[in-house]
Amino acid sequence: MSFRRRLLALFSLTVFVSVAVVTWIVSDMARRAFNRANDQRAAALVAQFHREFTRRGQEVATKIQAIAATPQATRMLVAATKTAADYSSFLDDAQGIAETQRLDFLEFADDHGVIISSAQWPAKFGYKEPLTTSGLPSTPFLKEEEMPNEPALALLGVKSAKAADRELFVIGGIRLDKNFLSSLELPSGMRAMLYENLDGSGAKFSPDRLITAGEPVQNAQQLASLINSVRANGSESASVVRWNSGDEETVNASPLTGENHQVLGILLIGSSRREYAELRAQIRSAALLASGAGLLLAVILSSWLAAKVTRPVEDLARAAHEVAAGDWQTTVAVTSKDEIGDLAESFNRMTGELLDHRERLVQTERVAAWRELARRLAHELKNPLFPLQLTVENLLRAREQGQAEFDETFHESAGTLLSEIQNLKTIIARFSDFSKMPQPHFQSVPLGEVVEEAVKLHQAQLAEAKITVEQSVNPSDAQIAADPDLLHRALCNLIVNAIEAMPEGGTLKVKTQQQNDAARIEVCDTGKGLSPEECSRLFTPYYTSKPHGTGLGLAIVQSIVSDHGGRISVSSQPGVGTAFAIELPANRDKLPSAHGTHV
Amino acid sequence: MKLYCSILFAVSSVLWSGQAGAGARPHYGGTLRIGLRENPRAQDAAALPAHLSSQIFETLVRLDDRGRPEPLLATSWEAEASYQRWRFLLRNGVSFHDGVPLDAATVAASLRGCNPEWKVFAVGESVMIQTEIADSGLLSELALSRNSIRRRASGQQKTSGTGPFTVAQWVPGKHLTLKANDSYWGGRPFLDSIEVEFGKSESEQKMLLDLAKADAVEIGPEDIRRAKSEGRTVMTSEPEEFLALIFAADARSEDDTHARNALAASIDSVAINNVVFQGGGDPSGALLPNWLSGYGFIFSPGTGTIQQPRSPKQPWTWTLAYDTADPVERVVAERILLNARDAGINLQLVDSANSTLRLARIPLPSLDPEVTLDELAGMLQLPRPMHDTKSVTELYSAETILLQSHRIIPLLHLRSAVALRPEIHNWHMHPDGSWTLADVWLSPEQP
Repeated sequence: MSFRRRLLALFSLTVFVSVAVVTWIVSDMARRAFNRANDQRAAALVAQFHREFTRRGQEVATKIQAIAATPQATRMLVAATKTAADYSSFLDDAQGIAETQRLDFLEFADDHGVIISSAQWPAKFGYKEPLTTSGLPSTPFLKEEEMPNEPALALLGVKSAKAADRELFVIGGIRLDKNFLSSLELPSGMRAMLYENLDGSGAKFSPDRLITAGEPVQNAQQLASLINSVRANGSESASVVRWNSGDEETVNASPLTGENHQVLGILLIGSSRREYAELRAQIRSAALLASGAGLLLAVILSSWLAAKVTRPVEDLARAAHEVAAGDWQTTVAVTSKDEIGDLAESFNRMTGELLDHRERLVQTERVAAWRELARRLAHELKNPLFPLQLTVENLLRAREQGQAEFDETFHESAGTLLSEIQNLKTIIARFSDFSKMPQPHFQSVPLGEVVEEAVKLHQAQLAEAKITVEQSVNPSDAQIAADPDLLHRALCNLIVNAIEAMPEGGTLKVKTQQQNDAARIEVCDTGKGLSPEECSRLFTPYYTSKPHGTGLGLAIVQSIVSDHGGRISVSSQPGVGTAFAIELPANRDKLPSAHGTHV
Repeated sequence: MKLYCSILFAVSSVLWSGQAGAGARPHYGGTLRIGLRENPRAQDAAALPAHLSSQIFETLVRLDDRGRPEPLLATSWEAEASYQRWRFLLRNGVSFHDGVPLDAATVAASLRGCNPEWKVFAVGESVMIQTEIADSGLLSELALSRNSIRRRASGQQKTSGTGPFTVAQWVPGKHLTLKANDSYWGGRPFLDSIEVEFGKSESEQKMLLDLAKADAVEIGPEDIRRAKSEGRTVMTSEPEEFLALIFAADARSEDDTHARNALAASIDSVAINNVVFQGGGDPSGALLPNWLSGYGFIFSPGTGTIQQPRSPKQPWTWTLAYDTADPVERVVAERILLNARDAGINLQLVDSANSTLRLARIPLPSLDPEVTLDELAGMLQLPRPMHDTKSVTELYSAETILLQSHRIIPLLHLRSAVALRPEIHNWHMHPDGSWTLADVWLSPEQP
């Protein structure tokens, strides 16, 4: 990843994390504030419910006190005082009085607890009312009232009337149902529900037992865990319910207990979290907007900063590439005085020093080459000069000995002199040839044929030297653009070099290979091989490892290959042999008429 | 002074005797207005309740208040020794309301329509009835209202009878107007017409009576005591309407049988009668009322005549259906629910037909106990008990067999009653709750 991209990613991440943290903090604060307000509203509604509960209880108490003083109650009391009390005529009285007084529950019972008349369950006449034997509560209370089909949650009050040491109990009340809940003044977004816990503590949650003032609760089963918690613990609890519609609602549950502190009902105050959800959505939208703007700003800033920071670095990188490509003159502009500026100055200083070092190296190599040339020249010239000197001295001595001896010596010495002079000419011609290496005249050359001809030319020498030739040359190899004479000369030098490397015979391997737009020629011998130091100096002009070599053969080969734009390399293992590899480009562009000529 | 007092006494006596004489003498004319709770919706007046259809249609024979057959459209009859072939001699001078004289062919056709299994044919002025098996109770069966003689004119929907009253207007479920049959063979009825309003609630009927908008209203057994205490003229029948719990199917196991026995034993019929029905009936463990069978007391609840109840091994939950439109039935059903719970049986009150058992009120089909037992067996889809002779022992055995089917739990026999205005005279309520309105007459209106 580029520095610019990393810088952009860093900026973007910083902006994103910052916005996310701020969003979370704001959301959390909003949630806490909403929950506080919600708790306060729920508490107020629970208090309102209890106030209404108390008010209705007082109403019930007042009504049953009035009922206890009605003529019907008096007649019942009179009937109760008789020895064989007959209550049959009072069967419907409780229903009539309850309708008049708008009570849901009304029962009359004698002092034995026998129900005389019941409004809610007329058929209960003659049965015992448990309340009359368990101590009468002085204030209205909650009770699970038995009904023919299902029990009901009742707010009851009890009063008694006495006459002639007999007592009549009047038990009446109202049902805690939808109408009761409807009397509560609910703020917007809130609702009250009542769960009738009338099936015993062991019974499962029943959605049918959930009463609301309005529409019935859909998927009431989602309240089961909250209600079961209150049923089990008998204490208040709250939970956030996510309905299937997607709405969320905070539900506070408060137990409603009876005389024996058993949980008979559970008041559920639901507070819609829609407002909070909308606020949360707004916060998220704002956060997204801020994130988007921040990211855009980050892109702009990072681009600007990256451009400011990375342009000198990119210039440096480009200059380094140019240096690597051989352009040692490359420098970079110093545009700042910071670390980047120091780096640019250091780069320029480095390239300058490299140039100096190269110049010095070239000069050193040049001096070394001249010294080697002088050494070789002195060595080459010293060999023929010494016989010349001896011959001339012999002539001088023969002159002093006599004419006959002089003539005999003269003839011998003249031949020697001519021979050594010829040697000097040859040495000078070789040096002259090396200095006069011609430039290649490129033409389309069938590489395989050139190689075969070179091998064939030295066939006799190879046979004499007992050298076996292994030739892996494909005549159908593609043609390359080269100078056939120079190429032939280079190959001959390599073959001669190989023959000289194998004085006791061996194997010469010649191989050509076509590689896309290049050709490769390998010439390998099985001679004694070369040391690494010898390999490194092998192509140096006038260097030779042979007693009578001029040190120009391989230098000429390298010169030819170089003039063809190719490369020669050597690999050798002492005792195994030496292998030369020539790699030549196709050089199609160097043909005299490149266009229309197929190579 | 003494003379003055004597003259005053003599004048008062004459006046009083004159008034009394005027009240005791039947008076022709007037319209009798009746209010009823029931709500019949049959299109054909022949399908009206028996106490109304008997005013329009007549049978060959009828049963007196002691259940003995007496002539009606047939003046005499004779049966062969095997009781499979009967011959009835028709009354002369009888004609249908449309004026067509009653003849043997019409009677035979009417009876064949009601009893496809009988072979009925006319022989001169008499009708022959042949049954597949010996039927000594054929006369009682012929007295049933379903065997009343009707004639349907070709192409007409209405049926015509021979009774003392003829249908003038019939709006199903609402209103029925009957007019006196001037050519009635037994003599023209005293009343000119009868107007019956159906579907009136108890409070509406009471109001109609108090406002003199009705002359007679039907009252339930639970209101008899109150009506009497209010000083109304109340005519009551014998305890005839049968209140019972009927199971939809036979007991499936021995434990089911125990549970049914436990339920029967748990129901406090006495309390239901005394409180819910205000003493308007008789608690009973029998199918037939005691006054009809003579042995009904044997089956009284708690006598142990029925197999001693044992608690069921498992808790049973049954559904009990009742007529939810009837508030009295509702109280009875709820009371049974309470009693059953004491016996460990859970009842759920429903109003659907697919219930385990139902609370039924069955009017007494006949004053003949054998016919009544047969009708009950037919209603329960049980084999009719065999009783070829009219001995009480056989009747008892037959009833016991029906009870031991554990398909029915008798609760009460209830009285039928009507409350009358004082202007109504000679209203005769038969033991089975039927009326003979041909003899009723109204006091003449005071000028």
